[in-house]
Amino acid sequence: MDGFTYINIFDTKGIEYLVIIGFLLLLIPFWRSLNKPLTVRAKVMSTLGVLTSNILKVPQGLFYSRNHTWTFLEKSGVASVGLDDLLLHITGQVHVNNLKVPGDKVRKGERIAEIAQNGGHLLIKSPISGEIQGVNKSLREGVGALNDDPYGGGWIYKIKPEKWTEETNSYFLANEATLWFKTELLRFKDFIAMSLNKYSPETAMVILQEGGELADNPLSGMPAEVWHDFQEHFLDKVS
Amino acid sequence: MNNQNAVLAKDNDGMPVLKFLAEAIKPKGTFFTPFNMISLPIMVLGFVIIVIRFIKGIGAVTNLTQEVPWGLWIGFDVVTGVAFAGGAYVITFMVYILNMKKYHSIVRVTVLNGFLAYVFYAGALLLDLGRPWNVINPIIGNSFGVSSILFLVAWHFLLYMIAMLIEFSPTIAEWIGNQRARKILSGMTLAAVIFGITLSTLHQSGLGALYLMASEKIHPLWYSEFIPILFFVSSIFAGLSMVIFEGSISQKVFDSQISEKNHRSHDGILHGLSKICTVTLFIYFFLQVLTFVHGKHWDLLNSPMGYWYLTEMIGFVLLPMGLFFYSYRKQNIFLIKLAALITMIGVIINRLNVTVVGFRWDAAVHYFPSWMEIVVTLTVLFVEIWIFRWIVTRLPVLRDSPSWVKKQSSKL
Repeated sequence: MDGFTYINIFDTKGIEYLVIIGFLLLLIPFWRSLNKPLTVRAKVMSTLGVLTSNILKVPQGLFYSRNHTWTFLEKSGVASVGLDDLLLHITGQVHVNNLKVPGDKVRKGERIAEIAQNGGHLLIKSPISGEIQGVNKSLREGVGALNDDPYGGGWIYKIKPEKWTEETNSYFLANEATLWFKTELLRFKDFIAMSLNKYSPETAMVILQEGGELADNPLSGMPAEVWHDFQEHFLDKVS
Repeated sequence: MNNQNAVLAKDNDGMPVLKFLAEAIKPKGTFFTPFNMISLPIMVLGFVIIVIRFIKGIGAVTNLTQEVPWGLWIGFDVVTGVAFAGGAYVITFMVYILNMKKYHSIVRVTVLNGFLAYVFYAGALLLDLGRPWNVINPIIGNSFGVSSILFLVAWHFLLYMIAMLIEFSPTIAEWIGNQRARKILSGMTLAAVIFGITLSTLHQSGLGALYLMASEKIHPLWYSEFIPILFFVSSIFAGLSMVIFEGSISQKVFDSQISEKNHRSHDGILHGLSKICTVTLFIYFFLQVLTFVHGKHWDLLNSPMGYWYLTEMIGFVLLPMGLFFYSYRKQNIFLIKLAALITMIGVIINRLNVTVVGFRWDAAVHYFPSWMEIVVTLTVLFVEIWIFRWIVTRLPVLRDSPSWVKKQSSKL
């Protein structure tokens, strides 16, 4: 047993070394979990992406109204009417309630549908006057087509227009529409900051922190009051 | 004198100096508030006790003895109060040295808070001195006493109060409307900040070092040669918790003073501070564990004082750390405020454990502060809050600076 000496872990400060090593090892997961991207923001960013004007679909040939609806005259002389991509990106998945049935006459600016999600709902105005010819029944079964293909399978009404040229000449066409969506998005950023601060200051910090891009579907999960304000500022006030 | 009058008069919409001062002294707002009604009688009583103390001596009003010469007035007013004033050096460091602009809106109120804390809590020291007039000796050199830690503490307190006054002085210049003075004083801010941080780091630990002399008197679980480091590290989260706590109250009480923009950014500020508290509490806990292991006092854990020690470590260090961590991750502002409150209680407990509870714990007769000591402590606290309120409602501390300040800053 020569050369072997019993070493007392207390006398040699062994425990202190172990504590320090333990601390340094703990520091790594502590620091990493503290600095992970914040949960709410990370969830929004990863699952929903970021809302910028680049991701919006703006097909050619459609007329875009300031009320965030679009209309397209088919060869048959009947026009399709639907919601534009910006509105659907802002709201996220919504349920459509039709307020009109085939045969009803509508005037431009008349409320024709309601879209709803949890507590919030918005009323949609008709972009043209005419007689309702058809209602998209597939939207009642599943809302997917509305968000995935807003300008095709996501149409809401077929309307036989009465004053097509007169009513659509002030609407945006493709390139103008792209520019207009950009300015609408900026206006929306201001709106959401203002409106959120009014009703829910803590959420405002999450959605708009660092003043960066908007998360996709920003209205989703917002209080009903914000939806109400949105209706007023983006769907009602404009002609 | 005429010249001075002219400057003041011109900048203050032509108001003469005397009228300006008279306006300033007049009370504002309602007088009969619950806070006033509770604090006023206590303050009156406190002043009476202070007068008795100066006529009849310390023994007449306190339970202090030769064995326990330092009690609540030192342990709470000075040692704990200064720890809570630590927010000033942390926030000025973040804003002026690290350039974290986000926290700029709370610099003034934090510095004011720190300044008043030092003036009052260090001022309360005079109550505890047998011959208070001798307090000037280490400054004028009648007897420097350079080998004493008190020498360091005395000079640091004095210099740090001056540094904080300089940091705060642009606000006073804005109040009286003297543009030239503001320009000169705000030019001195950075130097004062750097000087102040240096002093703070030294005397926060210096306060702990005072107790190194009492190694035999303090319970071994709280005494170690690392008290200065522990005091310094804990002053960071103590100060920031105070900032969170005080800020949350100010947001409500001085609601009308705070601009919409600052209201909005306040939650973000608390959120940022909670992260710093998490990290410093983590480091502090580790230091405490290391100190404990180094002290080899395992056997003491299984005793009443040991349980109390474990309560402090688990309930008031680990728990608030976890709470800060959780609330930071979840961005839960309410929990951040709760964690700050628990941390503050923890700091008070820790400082009192070192200075009062663990001090002469083995004596036959335990020291417990007399009711008069407690009343005087409350008086000091309330007078500070009254003055704080007086300043905040008059000077541009929480509200935005006058418009000419922006013009002046953009010219620089």
